[in-house]
Amino acid sequence: MLRVRVAFLAFLLFGLAIAYRILDLQVIEGEQWKSLADEIGLQYRTIKATRGNIYSDNGSLLLTSLPFYKVALDPSVSEESVFKKDIDSLSYRLSKFFKDKRASDYKRMIEAARLKGREYIVINAEEITYQEKKEMAKWPLFRYGRMKGGVIFEKVDKRFHPFSYLGYRTIGYVNQSNEGAGLEYSFNQYLAGSSGEALFRKVAGGRWRQVYDGTEIRPENGLDIMTTIDVNLQDVSQDALLGALKEHDADYGCVVVMEVQTGEIKAISNLSKTSSGGYAERYNYAVGSQGLTEPGSTFKLASMIALLEETNISLDDSIETGEGEYQYYDRTMPDHKPGGFGKITVKEAFAKSSNIAISKLVYAHFGTNPQRYIDFIKGMGLGRPLGFQMVGEGHPYIKETTDKTWSGVSLPWMSIGHELTMTPLQTLTFYNAVANNGKMIQPIIVKATVKAGQPVKTFDSIVLNKKICSDKTLEEVKLLLREVVLDGTASNIKHSHYPIAGKTGTSQKLINGRYTKKYYTSFAGYFPAEAPLYSCIVVIDNPKGYRQYGSDVAAPVFKEIADKIYASNLQMHPPMPDDLYVDETIFPVIRSGNLEDLTMICNQLGVSNHKKSGKEWVKTKTEANYVNWVSNDTRNGLVPDVVGMSLRDAIYILENQGLEVRYSGIGRVKKQSASPGKKAVKGSKIYLDLG
Amino acid sequence: MYRTFIEKHLKGDPIIWFIVILLSVLSIFVVYSATGTLAYRHMGGNTEYYLLKHTMLVLLSFMAMWIAHKIDYRYYSRISRLFLWISVPLLLITWKFGVTINEASRWLTIPVINQVFQPSDLAKLALITNLAAMLSKRQQHIEDLKDTLIPMLLWCGLICGLIALTDFSSATLLLVTCLLILFIGRVPVKYLALLVLVGILAGALAFSIGQRGETVVSRLKDYLDPTEIPFQAKQSYIAIATGGVTGKGPGNSDQRNFLPHPYSDFIYAIIIEEYGLAGGLAVVVLYLALLWRGIITASKSDRAFGGLLSAGLCFALVLQAMINMGVAVGLVPITGLPLPLVSMGGTSLLFTGMALGIILSVSRGEIEEFGGRSGNIKNVPKAA
Repeated sequence: MLRVRVAFLAFLLFGLAIAYRILDLQVIEGEQWKSLADEIGLQYRTIKATRGNIYSDNGSLLLTSLPFYKVALDPSVSEESVFKKDIDSLSYRLSKFFKDKRASDYKRMIEAARLKGREYIVINAEEITYQEKKEMAKWPLFRYGRMKGGVIFEKVDKRFHPFSYLGYRTIGYVNQSNEGAGLEYSFNQYLAGSSGEALFRKVAGGRWRQVYDGTEIRPENGLDIMTTIDVNLQDVSQDALLGALKEHDADYGCVVVMEVQTGEIKAISNLSKTSSGGYAERYNYAVGSQGLTEPGSTFKLASMIALLEETNISLDDSIETGEGEYQYYDRTMPDHKPGGFGKITVKEAFAKSSNIAISKLVYAHFGTNPQRYIDFIKGMGLGRPLGFQMVGEGHPYIKETTDKTWSGVSLPWMSIGHELTMTPLQTLTFYNAVANNGKMIQPIIVKATVKAGQPVKTFDSIVLNKKICSDKTLEEVKLLLREVVLDGTASNIKHSHYPIAGKTGTSQKLINGRYTKKYYTSFAGYFPAEAPLYSCIVVIDNPKGYRQYGSDVAAPVFKEIADKIYASNLQMHPPMPDDLYVDETIFPVIRSGNLEDLTMICNQLGVSNHKKSGKEWVKTKTEANYVNWVSNDTRNGLVPDVVGMSLRDAIYILENQGLEVRYSGIGRVKKQSASPGKKAVKGSKIYLDLG
Repeated sequence: MYRTFIEKHLKGDPIIWFIVILLSVLSIFVVYSATGTLAYRHMGGNTEYYLLKHTMLVLLSFMAMWIAHKIDYRYYSRISRLFLWISVPLLLITWKFGVTINEASRWLTIPVINQVFQPSDLAKLALITNLAAMLSKRQQHIEDLKDTLIPMLLWCGLICGLIALTDFSSATLLLVTCLLILFIGRVPVKYLALLVLVGILAGALAFSIGQRGETVVSRLKDYLDPTEIPFQAKQSYIAIATGGVTGKGPGNSDQRNFLPHPYSDFIYAIIIEEYGLAGGLAVVVLYLALLWRGIITASKSDRAFGGLLSAGLCFALVLQAMINMGVAVGLVPITGLPLPLVSMGGTSLLFTGMALGIILSVSRGEIEEFGGRSGNIKNVPKAA
């Protein structure tokens, strides 16, 4: 046991040594370590992740993060002589820059703080840009820097809208407490990224420096999102809407433009009146629940489809609408034409938006079994949320026959778009389905999330209903929608550059259970009518003045947007007619050049031309009333024929052959010094006469 | 009634049971506090995650301890050689293909249950048990160099060398433990020098082909340079200095946020910070008491094997505890050794439980039936 005792004794001694060492650290070296604890000032600090950008459909920046700076000052650090010398000129500059206080006020504020020995004052809460900060750093006192001058520029990352207020609400925001709206909020999980964290050590001057101890968690920067927004269309829509809102002194309005085949939202604008009388993007009425309203006459399209699909009526059937008033139980259904429409065809009833005709038809065919009508409407896909990508989509409501408020007048009123609510986007999706040959697709606004230019996740629009109705019915309702513009309520917009098809909507607003003299006007439709490219809805709420109908208020906005899209979209122009008369004197002078360039110019100017040559370079031959392209040989080693070409083309071709070009005059090539087809000697000069 | 239940199921030295339970309870408290930061940064603030995980392991190690103490200790003599053989290829596989944590591959993943474990834990337990068995068999001719000492020295050198490939501190600790056991087992001191020589040779070899050479050099340099105190040590000293006599109270540690591995390598610093000098000393006393009870058990054991086994395992465990505490207070250069029974740490807790179970098994003496059948263990005089 002796050896065991010896070993135990050794352990006992070691235990005592530990005890001694603890006492040593606590008592003898105690102060040293305790002060070190305060001094080292270690802290886990978050490293903020950079938030992702939001891009338009062609990659323009809609929203990005930029550094801004807040100007603060430590007035205690500067030397008395420096401070005295610079304070006046600094105060003057500050006053001139911020324009909020007089120079003497700035001086008094800074001097007072210095006297009190304060180490931190905010000069101005306004945030300045990087450029301004660079400039400001050269100012008196500030130029001595943080340690001697006391200036503190505090960096603040701010979201910046390069297109200012364009689509402001749709792009949206997220605040400190993670509340927000729009894309910023809906796609926050992608945009935000995740903050990292690392151990920092306090260093002189109150700054923090990272301790690389291997425990840091790197921040994961946010992804960018690629939207479907077309900046030009957005601009056009917002402009047109704003104009109309101002003209009619309306409460709010919204516009959504959607690409028919893809469901991509190309523009979405929401403007509402501010307390100061101007208009601003404050709520997304197109999408959100505050935008839920009784759609009014635009809903007649759904009733019409139900009638055409479920009954055997024909567009040419006639119906008696009487003298503009029709009684359903205790309620009177009015038509908007004083005196009534009398006896009209179904086609006219839709085009002129007769409430009586549509409701009578629906009541006659579905009155015994209203549920059949409701089931059909819901079967098409109406009455369900779209599952739109943005948070807060309004939940549509279509009354059921089992509803407590269901009454005898429910069906006729529903048939003309009352006693049910939808958002503008939901109505547009329905119209888009008609334009898209019956295929109802979910609208989308974000195509993909992107990291460093590479897509991470793409979003495709979902087909909500493969076919909302038969092709026959589609043809008929397309005809009806066209008729509205040609000879119906929206005939005021028939002179657009190309055919528009759509439906007006005017509904009296229901306030506290009573219909008032306030209106909700809208126009939903698509264009060009035959081969629709875009669908669009315009909503204007509570317009003032004597013109309060959808045709007068909303439809012109639709036309303005459509016209501007037309002007900027070559794809939509009809091809030039072949029998275009060409006057010899105004025939454009095209003699020679690049085939692709010339064809494009001719097509845009409407000059008929024929492509016989497959070569890159061509000469022209005018035959009868069109231009024929004849190939211009530019074989290697031979001097090419450049007569008739523009100087740009001529230099390109000649220098490709190794020739050195000298020229005189202005205009196209008139003469060339070396004749075409000769052997081209590399490096030799060729003189061109222009004229 | 409880008493009879305890007497029936928890056999062996009650004081050892008591100490182990005390340390385990302390362990759960301190680990819960020390893993706060870890939980916030890796488990999204789910602080209970590590608490539950650790408590589960503590309970499992109790289970291992209970099972191990039910088995007659002489049985371990037989299986220890088998495990020793198994651990050689395991250590080699770990070195080449193991899971890497903190730049050292010390872990192997057990297939099916997908749990990592350190083969060095197994090797250590097997080597100590086997050394006790070899020593007890050769007590009569302990001074015989060829038959007695060479095989033992070779095994010690081989296992320590293999462990040193990936973990220098554990290897050194095991070598010192082996020295202690040989010393207790009456091996002449002049031969012990031989083991030191073997150790140095194995160490040098591992140093040149292993993974940890650079770390060893830099840590020793840090320790020997009086002007430069490493970051971890500074943080540990601050924890101890700010703890005072009674500490900041459970769960109030500040330094857990800055100390690397506050739940394992530097858990003793956190204990002192939260429970003060009083708590720190209590822990030292508990370990010394555990060692003392282990020695008592050894001296009461009828067989040399039992005595050497109990003493060896006890010394191994307490030695590691002393080294860990020594690191925290700056008596020993920084090593990555956990505080046995207290630190959070997966399967090594189970091996600690097993070792304690074996000690308890020795303390309860021979189990009759088993003794009757055993033939290969000769009854030899008590060691030491």
